[in-house]
Amino acid sequence: MADSSDNIILVTENICKSFGITKAVRNVSLSIQKGEIHGLIGENGSGKSTFSSMLCGIYPIDSGRFILDGTEYKARNQIEANRKGVSIIVQETGTVSGLTVAENIFLGNEDRFVKFGVKNTGLMNREAQNLLNDFGFDRILANVVIDHYNFEDRKLIEMVKSTYFKPKIVVVDETTTALSQEGRLELYELMDRIRADGRTVIFISHDLTEVIAHTDRISVLRDGELIDTVITKTVTEDDLRRLMVGRELGNRYYRTDYDGNQSDDVVLKIRNLGVPDHFSNINFDLHKGEILGFGGLSECGMHELGKALFAGSYHRTGTVTLASGKEINSIPDAIANSIAYASKDRDNESLVSNTSIRDNICLPSRQDLKKNGLLFKRNLDDFAWKNAERISVKMTGIDQSISELSGGNKQKVVLARWLGKGSNIMVLDSPTRGIDVKVKADIYNLMNELRNEGKSIIMISEEILELIGMCDRIIVMKNGSLNGEFFRNQDLNEEDLIAKMV
Amino acid sequence: MNLNVRFENLKRKIAVGPLYGVIILLLIAIFFWVFFKTLAPENFGSLSNLSNYFLSSIIYSVGGCGLYFIVVMGLFDFSIGANIILSSVVGVIVSTYFGYPGLLIGSIACGTMIGLLNGFLYIKLKIPSIIVTVGLMLIFESAAYFIAGGKKQTLAVGLRAFGKAPASIILAVSAFLLTIFILRNTKIGTYCYAIGSNEYVAKNMGINVDKYKLIGFILTHFFVGIMAVLTVSYGWSMTAITGMESMGRNFTPLMGTFLGLAFRKYGIPITAIMIGEFIISIIFNGFIAIGAPTTIQNVVTGAALLIIVTLTARPEEGAVVK
Repeated sequence: MADSSDNIILVTENICKSFGITKAVRNVSLSIQKGEIHGLIGENGSGKSTFSSMLCGIYPIDSGRFILDGTEYKARNQIEANRKGVSIIVQETGTVSGLTVAENIFLGNEDRFVKFGVKNTGLMNREAQNLLNDFGFDRILANVVIDHYNFEDRKLIEMVKSTYFKPKIVVVDETTTALSQEGRLELYELMDRIRADGRTVIFISHDLTEVIAHTDRISVLRDGELIDTVITKTVTEDDLRRLMVGRELGNRYYRTDYDGNQSDDVVLKIRNLGVPDHFSNINFDLHKGEILGFGGLSECGMHELGKALFAGSYHRTGTVTLASGKEINSIPDAIANSIAYASKDRDNESLVSNTSIRDNICLPSRQDLKKNGLLFKRNLDDFAWKNAERISVKMTGIDQSISELSGGNKQKVVLARWLGKGSNIMVLDSPTRGIDVKVKADIYNLMNELRNEGKSIIMISEEILELIGMCDRIIVMKNGSLNGEFFRNQDLNEEDLIAKMV
Repeated sequence: MNLNVRFENLKRKIAVGPLYGVIILLLIAIFFWVFFKTLAPENFGSLSNLSNYFLSSIIYSVGGCGLYFIVVMGLFDFSIGANIILSSVVGVIVSTYFGYPGLLIGSIACGTMIGLLNGFLYIKLKIPSIIVTVGLMLIFESAAYFIAGGKKQTLAVGLRAFGKAPASIILAVSAFLLTIFILRNTKIGTYCYAIGSNEYVAKNMGINVDKYKLIGFILTHFFVGIMAVLTVSYGWSMTAITGMESMGRNFTPLMGTFLGLAFRKYGIPITAIMIGEFIISIIFNGFIAIGAPTTIQNVVTGAALLIIVTLTARPEEGAVVK
């Protein structure tokens, strides 16, 4: 008994974290050993990144506690976490431009080079260069401003920054997706060195092959809960997928029809569509009266695709063509030709938050509401009421400010706006993200109604269940390309989709 | 290491190093010198002319160095001009009692206090620095007017050493060295850059962002205090003006700051500010030498500001610019 507890570096007890109504991490209790590489996997939104962010002091914990090496551990920021022996290599860039490589490596830790308020920059540069050389990155110069290095090199610098002080635990958070094969090998080697030292790596990745190849044990999260911790040698990728999914199908608020009658009329034709750094060479047709789903990991390119259909992307190539032959090349084009778009980022890209529900609903329709070239308040009021009530926005009145509404009601306002505009093609990006069950059901009902009216909907979602439940057809994207297509079918299950996503 | 590898390394060091930036700046300076010298060979660009251009440019460079601390953090200060006037007036008045120490300490202490006030209000009020400092500019202008009693404040004849070489150069060069020292050899420099680049990451690294913004404002106006000494010594007197007229004094230092930002990746922000202000001085004097009307100076200032900012600021595509 004493033996095994000696060997444990980190225990987490009932860790919880919520964002608004979303419970991101619920009661996660697990123990991690010294000298292991511990995999952490789960679908989008399963709580992996939230969990590791709490461990590294980026988010505060709501309840529960971490016990590091036998004593309770709390960190208010990354530097404090580092001092206590926990560090992280993040998904995005964790380096700061405008600083030199050396300044980046020692950011927040300059004090060891400071005497009487004076920083010994020469010594700092030399030490940084020594560290870089130790890691085998001699070609990176410590005294050069980091902007001169590309993303890949910056990741290598970040590895040095996060591990030179020999932390007890290093979290590698989906870093590999950003790296080339060569960079990945460097990272794997670094992870092995840390393990050989008797220290610990928590390795978060979507790439199951890589997780199986490089870990000792794996913990699986689902909907913020810890499902199981398994020994890597004893599992296959399929076992892991099953653990990641494992939910029961059949939710009553989804569509129940499976008759499969589908119009052949194409309303939108997408050819060779591409946006640099997001996706390329996308081809598909959208049919009349169809709900077409797009699924994939959050970085697979599908969110940008939604924006590109609405002509809201920069440097877009390829064509988006209506049945009439008209090409959509600007947002005004899209709106004038009955295309609607609800962004995943409701607060910043869809709604004007410091104004009223009325103004938000009327925004794209003001031209249509003119009488003899003038706008009358009564017309605007009627229009806003009619559309807000159609989708039962919960509000004190149309004069209420958007900023006072809950996430679900905000989304309803976005939908009411496009209902009012009478758009025939709706691109809805994550329409139920962060929304409670009741409002979700309302939105699903509305989608169904619109579909029956012959309107076409593109639903982009990270929730596999709602795609299966609502769509006539689902296209799965991976790394910026289409990677699979599924038709509506009672036997379709989550594993089929996940297999195409990761 | 064989010769070829050494050569490659050397090439890379030059491409990312200070030499490259300095060469570009000197080429620009030479270009404008040749340009105006060809148009007005008689009354432009002799060695003594050039040294005059340089002496007037270092005044602005000192202000540019100060502004650098907050502009690098993405903040702004419109009260620079008002502070120059206020600190000059205070310096001149104190100098009548205490001579040179009075001039130096009066101006610089007054300037620094203004920086403390600006920074404090910006942090406490939580509104954009532009608005805070525009409001304060009006107040400082009026304060200078009241303190001066509405009269022109003239520096005594025996106290004008900082208006000419070598004293002016010694003071200015000390200011440059101090700026370089703070940027390179204290945490302040690193943290100002980190806050400007990504405030979120900076916070996560345990940096007290508000504290370093306050320090930034104080440093900015400390250097503005030095600039006030140089300004009033160069012009011998200072008249308090109101109604936002002090704005005109903001821009020349600011242009140097923007050039500093542009050349920061070569590691020579302060050198770039100095050479940049010298270039601006060459251009102004060039236009005067070819007999262009004085209003053309304003056109040049305006155009130069727009061109420099456009070249330095590379906003992310789709970023909202306000």
